[in-house]
Amino acid sequence: MSNSNVPSKFDVVVVGAGPAGSSAAYLLAKAGFKVLIVERGRGAGTKELYGGKIYAPPLREVWPNLDKEAPIHRWVTTERLSFVWKGRVTTLDFKLGRRVAFTTYLTEMAKWMADKAVEAGAVLVDEVRVDEIITEGGKVIGIRSGPDKLYADIVVDAEGVNRILLEKLGLAEKINPDTVALGVKEVINVGKKAIEERLLLTENEGMAWLLMGDITQGIPGGGFIYTMKDTIALGLVLHIGKAYEAAKSGALKDTVPMMLEKLRVHPYFSRIWRDADVLEYGAHMTIEGGLRYMPKKLYMNGLVVVGDAAGLLLNTGYTIRGVDFAVYSGKLAAEAIIKAFENGGPTEENLSLYEHMLKQSFVYKELVKHSGIVKMMEDPTFFTKLPAIVNGMMGKLFEADYEEPTVLEALLESFREEEMSLTRFLLKMFSVVSRL
Amino acid sequence: MRIVVGIKWVPNTQAVRFDPKTGTLIRAGVPSIVNPHDFPAIELALRLRDNYGGEVIAISMAPPGAIQGLEHVLGMGADKAVLLTDRKFAGADTLATSYVLAKGIEKISREIGPVDLAIFGHETIDSSTAHIGAQVASWLGWPYVYYVRDAKLVGDGVIRALRQTEKAVEEYDIKLPAVLATAIKALKPRPVRLSYKLRAKLEKPIIIWTNDDLGLDPRCTGLKGSPTIVANITWMPEVPRKKIVYKPKDPRDAARWILRQLFTDEAVAPFLRKALWGEE
Repeated sequence: MSNSNVPSKFDVVVVGAGPAGSSAAYLLAKAGFKVLIVERGRGAGTKELYGGKIYAPPLREVWPNLDKEAPIHRWVTTERLSFVWKGRVTTLDFKLGRRVAFTTYLTEMAKWMADKAVEAGAVLVDEVRVDEIITEGGKVIGIRSGPDKLYADIVVDAEGVNRILLEKLGLAEKINPDTVALGVKEVINVGKKAIEERLLLTENEGMAWLLMGDITQGIPGGGFIYTMKDTIALGLVLHIGKAYEAAKSGALKDTVPMMLEKLRVHPYFSRIWRDADVLEYGAHMTIEGGLRYMPKKLYMNGLVVVGDAAGLLLNTGYTIRGVDFAVYSGKLAAEAIIKAFENGGPTEENLSLYEHMLKQSFVYKELVKHSGIVKMMEDPTFFTKLPAIVNGMMGKLFEADYEEPTVLEALLESFREEEMSLTRFLLKMFSVVSRL
Repeated sequence: MRIVVGIKWVPNTQAVRFDPKTGTLIRAGVPSIVNPHDFPAIELALRLRDNYGGEVIAISMAPPGAIQGLEHVLGMGADKAVLLTDRKFAGADTLATSYVLAKGIEKISREIGPVDLAIFGHETIDSSTAHIGAQVASWLGWPYVYYVRDAKLVGDGVIRALRQTEKAVEEYDIKLPAVLATAIKALKPRPVRLSYKLRAKLEKPIIIWTNDDLGLDPRCTGLKGSPTIVANITWMPEVPRKKIVYKPKDPRDAARWILRQLFTDEAVAPFLRKALWGEE
């Protein structure tokens, strides 16, 4: 068959219709560029797994009508952080003073973002895998998919956490298991009314709830509970490198699905979704600590790297940010590309503006600022001892039959039980933080 | 050779859940897909076109959402697609569906060019009737072979269809125009190609015909043209399971344990005895 009327070249080819790729495509299409988005999944969003909290302000810079149009489930009005240890649960519960983030399933959100790009004039081709970014004389000139080549003045790499194309190009190293985590998630059909009654929420109010403690069986990571409109997203994030070591040494009691099962039937948490069915389950790789996952360079002649592929994800243990970072990097990439074309084309020198802008932005600053806590959350002193000590202390304070200890006594006693000294704990914390 | 291949846009039955309270299927929010059993038919059509030239036209009677499925088939390399869509076609059983499809194929023959071959999948995953190929052949008055695993042209206007039975390979030489239906998993479908999918998106080679174009008597289409009556649906209630886990070190203990469980179970033991020793 003839493809005579189909162009073999676009101004911009975006690889991946996730948040980063679609925001870049949207802004570039709006600026008049001929944009093609190539997506592996059947429709945009189908390969996403995240169901959680997304910060709205960075997204509003790309889509000012976000609040009205986007598939927002609930606005986060309550943040919870729970320390879980041997049947005891200590929870910090914070009622927000204003709404900055919402909950949604990224499958729905990414589809909306891609639809916006298509409305603006971008062409979306789904169900097609890009096999290679092609270069000529050190310059990216297009992509290859199976036997088909397609040329572009610039390629936006938004391929996501699994950077097969960047690895082939030599821009990213093979994945180090210590820099990535496994996310597993279940969608539970709790029902709107039950969610609101059981978690003390009203219409449109949502909760983001992170858990740490023995639910991950000694593997760095934690659990999450997010309220959606009618469903709850429940899951675990587990450090892959450490999980692999634990499985190999026999230290790991359960498989990952069993760990999630145990969290679902946990006597304290299970009451929230009692009588409700699990609708879906899935798993996806995610970035453990952003900065370490960032390629040495985020641009080359004819190429920029955005979103997860650029390592733009922050997991502090009490909050997870990735979608807004991805969107913002897509926006900066689009701005840099528009500038580059005004100044003679997408040369390496012109595109270096993108990395410069990204490093000046809140995204990079957040990643640098919080890299200490990311390291801390991987240290067993914190992610296992902290929940043990907190719950030990609360137990001593509130489970006394006759005499209650003082707060200091309770604290010191629970440190002693975990074979930790308070001074050593503080020193360790200081040393981890100051190492950065 | 001009080949028409039939596509059904079906709910992904793996994602369809059953409401045990009302006894109905929960289809809300279930994504639709191209009927998986249509893929061998698509692949056979594309191979024949690649070998002998001509064109492949995908045809579907469906609501407009099926365009997504037709784009998939165009992405695999089909040349054109025809969507037969009209509210008057809704609620059709296989008789009314095959009637509309046959009339669509006749219209293709008249307006695009004579159709030599129509290929359908074995059956659909959402109704499993395997009627459509045979019924379309009947409406058109064309010969029909089903469970086809492969086909090739032999001589002038004759196609040889291969069927595989348990003990033999059967070959049927039939005169074109004809209708074939492929066997489940007979041929591995090719992946979607970037250039084909791009062409589907940009050129939109999808022809949409409503009943105004086909001009069929509405008493013969959709619900009105469907003599099938679903009298009743019953379902298998979920059996409450005991969920016992027994983990002996020695597998022989496990074997003994499971036999003891079975032979001491009042509900199971009589059947086992009867099956093994004919005891009543």
